[in-house]
Amino acid sequence: MGFGQFLKAPEYDIKIITYRDIFQSTALESSGCGDEYAERSAVILLDKGDLKKMVLKDGRKAVLKNNFGRVVVHLRPSGYEEGHEGIGYMTNSPWSNALVSSETGGSGVPKFKMIIASISDAKDEKVTSFDV
Amino acid sequence: MENEYYVCTGCGLLCDDIEVELVDGKVSKVNNACLKGVARLKECERPAECRIDDAPASLEDAIIEAARILKEADSPVIFGMGNSTSQAQKNAIEVAKKTDAYFDDTSSFCQGPVVEAILENKIRTCTLDEVRDKADIIVYWGADPSNSHPRHLSKYTYFPRGKERQRGWEEDRTAICIDVRKSDTATICGDKFYQIPPQADEELLNAIANGLSGKVPKVSFGMGPKKILELANMLKKAEFGVICVGLGLVYSLEEIEPLVRLMDKLNEVSNFHLIPMVGQYNMRGSNHNLYEETGYINRVKFTGNDVEHGAHCSVVELLRTRTVDAALIIGSDPMSSLPGSIAKELLDIPVITIDPCNTLTSRKAKVSIPTATAGSECGGTAVRMDGVEVEFKAMTETDRMCDAEILERIMGEL
Repeated sequence: MGFGQFLKAPEYDIKIITYRDIFQSTALESSGCGDEYAERSAVILLDKGDLKKMVLKDGRKAVLKNNFGRVVVHLRPSGYEEGHEGIGYMTNSPWSNALVSSETGGSGVPKFKMIIASISDAKDEKVTSFDV
Repeated sequence: MENEYYVCTGCGLLCDDIEVELVDGKVSKVNNACLKGVARLKECERPAECRIDDAPASLEDAIIEAARILKEADSPVIFGMGNSTSQAQKNAIEVAKKTDAYFDDTSSFCQGPVVEAILENKIRTCTLDEVRDKADIIVYWGADPSNSHPRHLSKYTYFPRGKERQRGWEEDRTAICIDVRKSDTATICGDKFYQIPPQADEELLNAIANGLSGKVPKVSFGMGPKKILELANMLKKAEFGVICVGLGLVYSLEEIEPLVRLMDKLNEVSNFHLIPMVGQYNMRGSNHNLYEETGYINRVKFTGNDVEHGAHCSVVELLRTRTVDAALIIGSDPMSSLPGSIAKELLDIPVITIDPCNTLTSRKAKVSIPTATAGSECGGTAVRMDGVEVEFKAMTETDRMCDAEILERIMGEL
């Protein structure tokens, strides 16, 4: 056990934009409760510069949380040539939806494409499972 | 021997050139479909089971229990329908009328405003066949069909030869992408990709309209007037243009009016049409069927002969404000597709699901009724994303009932 485990991981604010991925959609068609769907959904793609600034590493996991929910997901660099500092990308899934605001201003349309959350190193936490 | 073609129910494109091979009465090979379509047409990995209170049940008992829940509820909601046949949707409307229920579908929080504007003739539309034959300018705005509707570009818009577009994408067509990220579709569009910041869509819609009116278009983000004018001029010169609207644009707009204004302006100076990039195979059918019955495309409450309509009747508001005391979910998985903080309200009321597959919602349901998969196991009709009705037949036989029949049986018990 290292001393680090007693320190709170630093948190950074991030905007999350959801997108479609054919492989994740295919996994959903096969089984929304399956491992492949979870594997392809519980992921956030970050800008390389952000990963460095936030001292987060490719292949590790991150905690994403806000007033509406908290999830642990895999962390990966986006691979985009253009930088997108402060913006993370997630596929549309229960993991991203856990962070979508319940406030709609009475419109009936949640803000699926604009999620504000904090991100921090998940240390040894397991990826959130909805398959219960 | 002539080939037999089937329809894919994987998305709102309803591709009608699917060939299948069967082994032991099951679909073993699917030709021509995209990855998602193949997954849809093959049996799901975890088919739904007939259950009441998490215990195995007979179909008969499940139908009786479903009817009892709906009968005893003061304010039930019927939701889903995007993955249901048109007949099932019509039967669901009858169940809603019989039980004085709220009725809503997934368009309520996605393409609803666009379909509504089309049905009310506020926006000019066209068919995908016309796009294939005539379109020279194709705009994908907030849409990434390479991932959401993989055959959209190859079957109808950019790559195919059409009657008036014999030289296809090489010379006859220009594809433009406007999006917040460089998607796979944006990559195909090459230097015709216009990247904008999140929530900047309305600003660009207005700027293009200004450019088309001869004014200097200005936006607050890093896209200069020259670049916007270049885009506006491309649209202006279109012989047959189409804007394919994705959720990226729909979710960014508070109201649909800026899009309607741009379409009006485009049609003053050019020839433009709009097609919504509908996800589920028959979401648009639900809109059409309810519109025919009530004059509204979604978000209604039946009370006797009266029909109430408004955002307060949307599934999101109904759950958020805990207005409903039972839910019948047909071919949809709101536990997965709604915000978690809203979907959790379903845990506090009796839920009935009718679905071919085991879903997060069916797992929590008080009554789970398995159905045949439309497209592979049962036939019917559906409305394609461009409003064209498509008839489809079953590929295989099954013991499981179709969704329309299950709803008819529930109606019988009511």
